[in-house]
Amino acid sequence: MWGSGILKGFAITMRNMFRGPITVMYPEQKLTLPERARWAVAPRYDAEGRPKCTACLICVNECPDHVLNLEVSKSEDGAKHIDRYVYEVGACMMCGLCVEACPFDAIEMSHEYELATRDHGDLVRVLLRDVDAASTRRAKGGDDA
Amino acid sequence: MTDDPKMAWAITAEGSQFPGPLPCGLRCIPRGVDELATEHLVLNMGPQHPSTHGVLHILVELDGEEVIAAEASLGYLHRGIEKLAESRRYHQVPTLLDRADYVSGLHTETAWALAVEQLAGIEVPGKASWLRALLMELNRYASHLVWLGTFGMDAGAMAPFLYIMRDREMLLDVIEAITGSRMMFNYVRPGGVVADLPAGVDAKIRAWLEVADTYLSENDALLGGNEIFRMRMKGTGVIDRATALAFGMTGGCLRATGVDYDLRRDVPYCAYPELDFEVPLGVRGDNMDRYDVRVGEMRQCIRLIRQLVDGMPEGEFSGKRSRVLKVPAGESYAAVESPRGELGIHLISDGGLTPYRMRLRSPAYFNLAVVDEALAGGLIADAIVTLGSLDIVLGEIDR
Repeated sequence: MWGSGILKGFAITMRNMFRGPITVMYPEQKLTLPERARWAVAPRYDAEGRPKCTACLICVNECPDHVLNLEVSKSEDGAKHIDRYVYEVGACMMCGLCVEACPFDAIEMSHEYELATRDHGDLVRVLLRDVDAASTRRAKGGDDA
Repeated sequence: MTDDPKMAWAITAEGSQFPGPLPCGLRCIPRGVDELATEHLVLNMGPQHPSTHGVLHILVELDGEEVIAAEASLGYLHRGIEKLAESRRYHQVPTLLDRADYVSGLHTETAWALAVEQLAGIEVPGKASWLRALLMELNRYASHLVWLGTFGMDAGAMAPFLYIMRDREMLLDVIEAITGSRMMFNYVRPGGVVADLPAGVDAKIRAWLEVADTYLSENDALLGGNEIFRMRMKGTGVIDRATALAFGMTGGCLRATGVDYDLRRDVPYCAYPELDFEVPLGVRGDNMDRYDVRVGEMRQCIRLIRQLVDGMPEGEFSGKRSRVLKVPAGESYAAVESPRGELGIHLISDGGLTPYRMRLRSPAYFNLAVVDEALAGGLIADAIVTLGSLDIVLGEIDR
């Protein structure tokens, strides 16, 4: 019968009406992200709260968009000191290549996804500032080798 | 007469010495008045029109409601992906290719991986092939859902779009759990894939499979089961077999004309030789056929995903993946059946760390080229539906 398809359509729409909501009331409610979700890059710390970064610069060379920058200075004995580890979150595409490449597990793709800011300057983050690289501490004390 | 070559088109239009329908817009002025003294109107459809599915600009010359000529004008989404790839190392290129076809990035990624593996002679573990096929099918289904929803919207059906987006959300949750991202996956690399299936995702896919058939039947009943929709689609936007072949159309648009060509079966790659599926075909090549072929493909997708989940082999998900992959000098071409058709990567290497040249054979580009032929002679309302039925993604067309 012509028109039965249209009536069936109404029935399906009614059925969907009683299926309940599928959305959540963000920002009061939030969904949990899957373990592998990739958002802003964040440094990782060891058990004593010191950054695991060794300033090897692999992540800096790996990034296709050049959003990571490590300003490293060397002391007289050749030890590496991280002056600034700068991360341009506004230009990052969250591909995760830097984290994959890091041989020391020193950075991670965090689950921080609310990245909107009121100030453009906040889109350039300093992840680490004025800290000894992990390799240097290892050479000095050897406690976290 | 003038010797200025730029004026040559205008003179032909005035004198109507040009055989057949004239091109309009960029190349020619409209043909002025006809017997009823109604002026033809050149209308700019897009590049910000919601029915052009992205930033597509179509110049249509209208006589009342009838489309006299149409011309697609491209390039609004050009980002130079092919050129940028020349300055990226081999494992960095997938980040760009995700942004080419942003509705089904895993197909582009896999085509790239296959092209690089072919040239470098890299062996891929069996499980990686299966994982790729699984992810591609999930992605194909998600991509077809986007098409189904927007196609309904083009015809004026709003409710199915919302139900379809709900279904797509379930799939994107699965894909996000596996790859870490909802759109820009960066999951398939030369040598294998980035990670194995995470714990618990198997149950998630099975939970989706439980409802997938029901939801698809409902959505199909809302659109394809609706008599008004069927009457609207039948006989409009006809692209015959010869035209489709002449324009190099592939995928669902070609199969809707009755040409039995599917790369998954005819040029097998990944795990497809071991899988059992059918290739739905159309007859007339009109909008209804394209709809039926794609919905049929979605049913096959569910069947394939079930087989892939059940038969997932044990083993390594990746061979050795190198960050400084050196590919020997030479060329290779690898193609996959993307939701839109034959998506090919032509790779030329000079033996360096980065590709010498990467060329993307974008199926939607070829499918879109036919609009000049397909829209002319129809009505403006049918033009929008026909454009929707072609399932174009501008990111892939403009690259």
